[in-house]
Amino acid sequence: MKSTAYKKVERMTPAMRTIHWINAISMIVAVATGLYIAAPYYQTLIAEPAVDKYVMAWNRWGHFIVAIIFDVTSIVVAYLYFFSRFEKPYKKVLPTGKNIKEFFAVLINLLTLNRSKSFDSSHSDSFNTVYFTIFHLLLAWMLFTGLQLYVHGLESGLSSIGSWWPAMLHLVTDWTIPVSAWMVGSGPVPSIMDVRISHHITMWLIVVWVVFHIYYQVWRTIFWQEGDIAIAFGGSKFVKEDKEA
Amino acid sequence: MGTDKQEAVKSLFTAQSAKVDTNRGDTYYEKLYDQCRARLDALKKLAPINNRRDFRTVIEEEGLERRDFLKWASATTAMLMLPASFTPLVAEAAMVMNRVPVVWIELQDCAGNSEALLRSDGPKIDEIILDIISLEFHETLMAPSGHQAEKQLEEAIEHFKGKYLLFVEGSIPRGLNGAFGTIGAKAETFIDHLTRLSKDAAAVVAVGSCATFGGIPAAAPNPTDAVGVMDVVKGKPIINIPACPANPSNMVGVLLHYVLTGQVPELDSLLRPKFAFGYRIHDNCERRAHFDAGEYVEEWGDEGAKNNFCLYKVGCKGPMTFNNCSIIRYNEGVNWPVGVGRGCIGCSEPDFWDKYAYERPMANANIKAPTGGVEKTVDEFGLGLLTAAGVGIAIHAAASAVAGKKESEREEA
Ligand code: HEM
Ligand code: SF4
Ligand code: SF4
Repeated sequence: MKSTAYKKVERMTPAMRTIHWINAISMIVAVATGLYIAAPYYQTLIAEPAVDKYVMAWNRWGHFIVAIIFDVTSIVVAYLYFFSRFEKPYKKVLPTGKNIKEFFAVLINLLTLNRSKSFDSSHSDSFNTVYFTIFHLLLAWMLFTGLQLYVHGLESGLSSIGSWWPAMLHLVTDWTIPVSAWMVGSGPVPSIMDVRISHHITMWLIVVWVVFHIYYQVWRTIFWQEGDIAIAFGGSKFVKEDKEA
Repeated sequence: MGTDKQEAVKSLFTAQSAKVDTNRGDTYYEKLYDQCRARLDALKKLAPINNRRDFRTVIEEEGLERRDFLKWASATTAMLMLPASFTPLVAEAAMVMNRVPVVWIELQDCAGNSEALLRSDGPKIDEIILDIISLEFHETLMAPSGHQAEKQLEEAIEHFKGKYLLFVEGSIPRGLNGAFGTIGAKAETFIDHLTRLSKDAAAVVAVGSCATFGGIPAAAPNPTDAVGVMDVVKGKPIINIPACPANPSNMVGVLLHYVLTGQVPELDSLLRPKFAFGYRIHDNCERRAHFDAGEYVEEWGDEGAKNNFCLYKVGCKGPMTFNNCSIIRYNEGVNWPVGVGRGCIGCSEPDFWDKYAYERPMANANIKAPTGGVEKTVDEFGLGLLTAAGVGIAIHAAASAVAGKKESEREEA
């Protein structure tokens, strides 16, 4: 076994890593509180005075707090997709010949259990970028459907920050009603329950997404031996000197 | 996507919130007051249609006192979101209700809305008004039948051309060219019947969930391809009063509003009057404190039920339902579904039979797959997906362990 020199490549800036872990924690909170909101699964018949056991209210509060965090990080991530001075992810999802070729090369690498590896793994590759894009689309859908569910509680058209807020939410999220109805399958008239069903199902899609995401990063770390898992923590991975393009 | 669907989508984008401006300033209300005054005076000059009974006589016969009537008038004024100074006008409007022609037709329905306003024990003011309105035609209630009834209908729509209100109860089956529902000796389909009668109506009022959104006949798999009035009638003012059955108070509210102002009340994006459907059940529910506290009825008759806990876990859909039953209740405010201890089944929302009325939280209810196939709960579906992903990953991991090549091994090979 000949010894090889490894070179460090930076992959995630501190800002990107911060967003990554905020997202990860928010996601756990969103799923735990969301499932409680859907079907309260603990503490129902415990006799306690109201202040201590504002249980549903706290769960909803937690859900909305992470929702706001998601709102903000999503806007930042969307901005970075196009204007990042570091790596502009949108360049990797455009269906250019080069990207399509790379996408399938990475897929084949995964399917052949790393027996074939014919692409440059130092940079963020097309496959992973597409995969992340799917995540951001799912998250965006959660945001729009979630805000639609939220505006149902503002039926007076008033809010503590002014009537522009519910009006804007209607304008920005009412389209999720017919779209959800189309996805869920509805009767003659779309209903707001379709939005809720879709919000819930999309949660499961995101959970599945997360499971594969974690597996794949661990798998890459083990088989590629380039320290990919460290990207999310230290911001960089290591590639062989001769490989770095 | 047809143009109607496009219209529906467009209106969703521009949906107004439920908010009704209850204070539009003195000038607005002064003008409205004068308009109403003039309209009532004009109506008063007309004789009651077809010897309809006098409101005052009926009230007396039913043993109701003037005080009851005045109480009702001020409550109704508030329900219609008008200033208190309109109360005398509302009272007057009630008395001239027998001058406004109404044609009531029944299509694919169970007559439940008609029942709701007939079967109350001891009619209250709302029911009396519905009793004395000039119902020119109502298949279920009128004495004539067959050709005689048809003749009466033709005469009514000819005589009151452009003036009558068309109340519709029941959905409209479109399948088999409408052959699922026909009416009269000439077997006119419900679609043709409705289209023809709505042509000369001043406005069309769809009463109950079937006439508004298709209701139970439109539930999956909707064998008759049933739809509501707004999917059939075009180019007419339409007012939807959903719920199963529609609350008589809301029917009266719409009628009164029309008699008083000559206008359709302010509507939401589903064409429901905001004065009635601008409230969410959940936000005006007496059990809401228990919801926030996380105190739920787990099963019928348990300790929680005895303590009036929230009905969310036994399927209450109050959080997703807009209607005013938690405020005005039924039978002159005696009680309402959640008050008697069973959850709201969302009867005033589109698709309520499939999407709301299963008496379990949505997450635990069987929902059809988009393909229309197997029924699974949302969580079963999600866990199924997760299991499939888990199995796939396990296979890949095992295969990688056995046959995969790590980078170092690949180099050596
Ligand atoms: C991406 C992460 C999210 C996940 C995993 C998630 C998950 C869930 C789940 C499972 C439910 C229960 C639905 C049901 O009744 O079956 C729910 C409800 C809800 N979610 Fe989310 N959600 C997320 C993001 C959001 C966002 C961004 C908002 C925006 C405000 C939001 C607002 C809501 C609202 C308003 C409800 C209904 C709660 C109620 O009416 O009390 N969610 N969520
Ligand atoms: S009983 Fe229904 S409407 Fe009332 S608080 Fe509970 S969930 Fe809401
Ligand atoms: S509580 Fe719900 S289901 Fe019952 S009448 Fe009111 S809207 Fe309909």
